[in-house]
Amino acid sequence: MRKIQSALSTASAEFRRNEAHNRALVEAFREKQDKARHARPQRDLDRLAIQGKMRPRERVEKLLDPGTPFLELSSLAANMAYGGESPSASSIVGIGIVSGREVIVRADDSTVKGGAWYPLTTKKGVRALDIAIENRLPVVHLCDSAGGFLPLQSELFPDKYMGGRLFRNQSILSKMGVKQLSLVFGHCTAGGAYIPSLSDYNVIVRGTGAVFLGGPPLVRAATGEISTVEELGGADMHTTVSGTCDYAAANEDEAILIGREIVSNWDRPAKWAAQRDAPEPPAYDPTELYGILPDDVKKQFDMREIIARIVDGSRFHEYQPNYGTTLVCGYANIWGFKVGILANNGVLFNDSSLKGAHFIELCDQNNTPLVFLQNITGYMVGREYERRGISKDGAKMIMAQSCARVPKFTVMCNGSFGAGNYGMCGRAFDARLLFAWPNHQIGVMGGDQAANTLVEVKANQMRRAGEPLDQATLERVRAETLAAYQEQTSAYYSTSEVWDDGVIDPVDTRNALGVAISVSLNAPLGEKGYGVFRF
Amino acid sequence: MTNAPPAPLFRKVLVANRGEIAVRVMRTLREMSIDSLAIHHRVEARSAHVRFADEAREVHGETPVVAHLDADQIIAVARACGADAIHPGYGFLSENAGFARKAKAAGLVFIGPDADTIDLMGDKISARDFAAAHGVPVAPSVQAKGDIEAFISEAGGIGFPLLIKAAAGGGGKGMSIVRDASELRERARLASGEALRYFGDGRIYAETYVERPRHIEVQVLGDGAGNAIHLHERECSVQRRFQKIIEEAPAAPLPDRVRADICAAAVRLAAASRYRNAGTVEFILGADGRFFFLEMNTRLQVEHPVTEMICGLDLVRAQIEIAAGRALPFTQANIPQRGHAIECRICAEDPDNNFTPATGSIRLLRAPAGPHIRFENALDEGQKVTADFDPMLAKLVVWGENRGQAIERMAAALGELTLLGLRTNIDYLSRILRTQAFRAGAIHTGFVTEQAGALAPAPPDRAARDHALILAALGQRNFRESIEIVEDPYASMGGWRN
Amino acid sequence: MALHLTLDGETHSIEIVQRRPVLRLKVDGRAYEIVGHDAGPTGSAIIGGETVAFARALVSDQRETCFVRLHGRTHEIRLIDPREETGAHDATRDEIHAPMPGAVISVHKAAGEAVARGETIVTIESMKLQTALTAPRDGHVLEVLKGAGEKFDKDELLARLAPEAEG
Repeated sequence: MRKIQSALSTASAEFRRNEAHNRALVEAFREKQDKARHARPQRDLDRLAIQGKMRPRERVEKLLDPGTPFLELSSLAANMAYGGESPSASSIVGIGIVSGREVIVRADDSTVKGGAWYPLTTKKGVRALDIAIENRLPVVHLCDSAGGFLPLQSELFPDKYMGGRLFRNQSILSKMGVKQLSLVFGHCTAGGAYIPSLSDYNVIVRGTGAVFLGGPPLVRAATGEISTVEELGGADMHTTVSGTCDYAAANEDEAILIGREIVSNWDRPAKWAAQRDAPEPPAYDPTELYGILPDDVKKQFDMREIIARIVDGSRFHEYQPNYGTTLVCGYANIWGFKVGILANNGVLFNDSSLKGAHFIELCDQNNTPLVFLQNITGYMVGREYERRGISKDGAKMIMAQSCARVPKFTVMCNGSFGAGNYGMCGRAFDARLLFAWPNHQIGVMGGDQAANTLVEVKANQMRRAGEPLDQATLERVRAETLAAYQEQTSAYYSTSEVWDDGVIDPVDTRNALGVAISVSLNAPLGEKGYGVFRF
Repeated sequence: MTNAPPAPLFRKVLVANRGEIAVRVMRTLREMSIDSLAIHHRVEARSAHVRFADEAREVHGETPVVAHLDADQIIAVARACGADAIHPGYGFLSENAGFARKAKAAGLVFIGPDADTIDLMGDKISARDFAAAHGVPVAPSVQAKGDIEAFISEAGGIGFPLLIKAAAGGGGKGMSIVRDASELRERARLASGEALRYFGDGRIYAETYVERPRHIEVQVLGDGAGNAIHLHERECSVQRRFQKIIEEAPAAPLPDRVRADICAAAVRLAAASRYRNAGTVEFILGADGRFFFLEMNTRLQVEHPVTEMICGLDLVRAQIEIAAGRALPFTQANIPQRGHAIECRICAEDPDNNFTPATGSIRLLRAPAGPHIRFENALDEGQKVTADFDPMLAKLVVWGENRGQAIERMAAALGELTLLGLRTNIDYLSRILRTQAFRAGAIHTGFVTEQAGALAPAPPDRAARDHALILAALGQRNFRESIEIVEDPYASMGGWRN
Repeated sequence: MALHLTLDGETHSIEIVQRRPVLRLKVDGRAYEIVGHDAGPTGSAIIGGETVAFARALVSDQRETCFVRLHGRTHEIRLIDPREETGAHDATRDEIHAPMPGAVISVHKAAGEAVARGETIVTIESMKLQTALTAPRDGHVLEVLKGAGEKFDKDELLARLAPEAEG
């Protein structure tokens, strides 16, 4: 593999303009993230302190091995929902190291409405357990939740991927031999009681931890029985009488220590033998990514410059460098792991689609994980391209990509529009993890195209009705469409809805992918096979 | 035939001791082709002196100390094993006249003085009277003869300060300094009580107390027929809790006339008592050059190696030769003397906490080495150090061309000595050697108290402390595992957060 | 989570910052790189660019103590057990409950008496089986609630140890 020769001029006006633009975007992102993580009403923090409880993030930090990374997922989930009442969707989810073992941590955030689950909390939780299933990643639940947020129960309880899915996933994980540990710091009420109960191991903190289907008020209302929290579901009752919990801890610190000891006894999943070399940092400075990404989503840039700032030694073996050039394909290493990279250098044509499909099959054959770096406006449209079968060539790429059994990872580097999102392993295509940069925009088409399209449709209606073209109406349609698009195509909207696994700072991409690839190797590769390619 | 080795002086010698002194005696026995017979209590069956000996036998007792003090049993073992002599070492039965008598009665040679000499010197009062009678200076003193009021009145007559001592005692027990008439009565009562408790003998006496006294002692050898020589003096002024921790030979600066007078007095005493074998005459020396007889130790001393180092001879060999009836190996005129030797007693104790004895296990032992360095020990890694025996673990002895060089060598050797697993006084000894006062020879028996400020450990500098903390952490298996357990890419990513 | 150690009465903390390509630790917030550390009792390591020869011995009695000898000076360092740091005092360790219903055969320790961990306090008989109930830790007996011949139920409190003094 050869080192990519960067053509970037860090002294250029364009670089500096881009850099200023993107640094401002990242700063705004960090502000939002910081707020979601830490800004809480003093009243809630005081209540926690009175109970002798740690903040959820402290619990996570104490759980993790010191000096090891934590890849937090969906830190801005729900950032545009519920009027901002549920920062990070009232939970912390991330991949980290406990007693040397990779685990996914799912922590209730009791600093927000007592840790009540909002609809997006369950969505984020279900996604966490899906990640656990797909990557055979043991789970540590840090439980402290008042239960479902009742005013929105219809959005979090009944459907397939709502609350019940958590417990279904827990059961499946256990069946697969993927361990789960619950540390019960606070209440686990109603459905929440099943989290520790369905965990293979659990620890409960004396005094503050409780597990019950119904708390004292509910029991009293239902049967008239008067009872205390301790009697109904306290640590001593569950560890000496009911056997629902395994270990009682005197306090949160001890619970975490016991939990770490439990994890230290777990066998380690045998990772499949992916090609690996000694890791090496990129030769080019990753902070130069800020100067490469354009200040306008419509501006083109060379994805090789991005690749050079993510991969080991900036080395890249490019596949078919002179064919289908709008899709850059090739091999590189990330944190030592060999990967095949597909990156968009323009709209997908027939040749670039065929090249992509072929490259995916090569990587699948070679047991090489796939990394998709998206900056795609779609597949080429027009008579000429339809006649050449752009749809069936795009379909080949989607077929190859959907059926490839090697782990896939997607980074939304810029735009992700139309069917290009599908071919490049969008959310629906089971990327093991999918990250977005703050400048990312997503939609079935770009805002301008959508506005133009709708204005054109409206004008046609007017023409058919024999009305004169009302420019004011048309301008209103354009403005409304653009405004809606601006909100709904943004990375923040996308991540709020958990359409990705989190917005990340571009310079964090290499580490995020390193963690993602490492955990993906826990799940054995499935059987090779594809559907029918349309030739 | 002329080259055939001479017949050994004894066939087999029972060494009635343990630890470093037992090993030290056995070394000489081996050089002299004499078999060594060790005794040991059950709990010390695997200790170094047992392994070192040609033969070993268990002696029984409720505690190891009881076993080592059981004269009848030890003599029975010696006879049963065919030993023809007993070397008592120091401590235990070494100054027990009854033991010496019983050994003799059993047909065994006791490598030491006559039982009568032991008796004479073993009682402080009779020893003192004997010394005074033979022109050896003694401190003015008064003995309590039942009537405590008379004692108090007479003692007051000597003048203050006074030192009250137990007649039968040693090791500081029953000892007390009285600076004022008003405290005399109470101190006398306490001293008598303590003497009764420790020695079963409540008799006490009072004598002139010498301020800033130095402890000077003289190594003597006698043939039992009235011939005696001295092997120069030793200075043992650096003491803690009335026990020596640093000894040297010759004494730190000492006027030649005083030196000659002290040595002559010691020889006079040895000759007059028809002393046989090796002994030590102890004196206290005042700043004014006056010295007084303290006591005579009728055995080999702990600190005998410093004399060996400056004289270039083996005192145990001399003891054995004298015991076998040979003439004294030297005349006074041909005893060599060269350079300066220092001994440090390595003790299991906490110098920063009033020298409280420490217990534990020796986990790591690395002895210093090099020219003119002796590390006298019988230690093993893994050995438990209990309160059963004296806290002295070992002795480090060095020789140098002069006192300064000996101090430098000792400082280096103490730095090199690694004995870990329990608290010891090694670093404390190093600190003593570094004081200006010690280097200047301004020592006296109150030295460590007087220098307490200079001897307190300075806090380590931050780098050294951090290094030590890091190495302690890395020495812990759990901590090392918590490092090794994490694999790449996480090991290289560190505490990254997104 | 940092490892805490005490030296000369002061508590210090050591954190692992990074493991590879070189080990980086922080001592009370000061960073050190450690290269070529020997795991044995004696050896050398390059700590913060300085080559340090050392000897050390770890003593694990009730507390873990490491004697580290550097530059001719021995440092006695106590390694604090993180479990101990949680301040979790398990009160149940002070109480001896009946593991099954039965009767006391004999009482071996009276209130106020010192007991070592593992020493029998009472012997009980239950289901034709004699069981010695032993002290869960070193300490003093606070009270023995049943005398010889007295019957008790499962989980009944039979004896209690005096609370441990701090330190």
